[in-house]
Amino acid sequence: MVDLQKLHDAILNGDAKTSAAVTLDALGEKVSPIEIIQKAMVPAMDEVGRRFECQDYFVPELLLSARAMKVAMEPLRPLLAASGVQRAGKVVIGTVKGDLHDIGKNLVAALLEGGGYEVIDLGANVAPERFVEAARATGANIVCLSALLTVTMTAMKTTIEALQAAGLRDRVKVLIGGAPVTRQFAQEIGADGYGDNASVAVSLARSFTKAAGAA
Amino acid sequence: MRYLLIGCEVLLRELADAIARSPHTIDVDFLSKGLHDLGGVRMREALQTAVDHADPARHDAVLLGYALCGNGLHGLEARRVTLVAPRAHDCIALLMGDRRRYDTYFSTHNGVYFRSTGWLERGRDIEQLANAAGTDFTLADLIAKYGEDNGSYLYQEFTRYQTHYRQLTFIETGLESDDRFEQEARAEAVEKNWAFEKISGDLTLFRRLVGGDWDPTDFLVVEPGERIVASYDEGVIKAEPIS
Repeated sequence: MVDLQKLHDAILNGDAKTSAAVTLDALGEKVSPIEIIQKAMVPAMDEVGRRFECQDYFVPELLLSARAMKVAMEPLRPLLAASGVQRAGKVVIGTVKGDLHDIGKNLVAALLEGGGYEVIDLGANVAPERFVEAARATGANIVCLSALLTVTMTAMKTTIEALQAAGLRDRVKVLIGGAPVTRQFAQEIGADGYGDNASVAVSLARSFTKAAGAA
Repeated sequence: MRYLLIGCEVLLRELADAIARSPHTIDVDFLSKGLHDLGGVRMREALQTAVDHADPARHDAVLLGYALCGNGLHGLEARRVTLVAPRAHDCIALLMGDRRRYDTYFSTHNGVYFRSTGWLERGRDIEQLANAAGTDFTLADLIAKYGEDNGSYLYQEFTRYQTHYRQLTFIETGLESDDRFEQEARAEAVEKNWAFEKISGDLTLFRRLVGGDWDPTDFLVVEPGERIVASYDEGVIKAEPIS
């Protein structure tokens, strides 16, 4: 009988080899993907986020846990898609136009995926119209925008305006983050949420999807 | 007039040129490069400490040889002496002499990494890794700390930004004594497989800052009792009362 605690610990310790192996064993024993996610991945990534917030973990540890989580998620993705299981929510994420700095965005994407969300990662330097297209095509309920430069922060505003113009603004919650971004800026441009670190994104997303009854 | 100039050491050549031309007496305090890597709040705290060293009996104003720099100026207070700051997002706009020129260049050139003498002669290798990891790691450091597999993975993640960049642009200000900086920048572009472009810098903003020519279009003057905040508009920064 496979021990999902081992997967939990492997993610926490950034041990990608073990996390991949335990996941395959679990699937071999017909453990459902959703059980693997809920019993091991979500609690492990929650703990990773908690450790990051209290500065037991730093960016390297976060990246390694995210990697261990992602390799474990890999074989689950097609099964989840085929089974049509309801995930916690659907997130479209990217760094805004002009901004190539994506480490923070990658961490947020990994934490959200580990938190049970389906994540559509558009990458770096994403134009407003691509966010709009992806939000429309996927039926996402959350759009996450990242910027590391004050000069590109204005592209967050234009992206929100593009969602508005496309008639999607009421359907999606917009979360923004990145080193120079502030709560005040988030309010000024009409974002729904702001996180000053990667792990806040998950609790914000949960508060939105819970309110909408999707979680 | 007597001013206290607090500048980033990455702009040392440009500010030294401006000081030499200024009709005013300038006291100087150059702070270490890469303060912006600490994040806006810690950079602002470091600047505030330097600003608070200004003496109202001695200095007519504090001149900031900085741009907004990742919100490093956001919240900086003029407590006893007037502050003057150029309106720009970062030092690349200062080196180009006009933030509108920078905006145009930025929006028409995708994935550009900039170099100037200051960025080359003051430790060019530290900024990105320091930025990503909060400390200055090499591949060997990461492998020693996290093991071969995880260490290599982290190094790849921390240096992956290079795959997003396509071009290295060297800003030549005319303060280079020979072409070694340009050659170094060219070699870096070749090494990273980026295109190379050399553009002319413009020292106007440095000379106007230190010369006392503070047109409100390009400079913000912050009186005692006010602080600098990011304005998220054309003007980049604005003053508001210290609450």
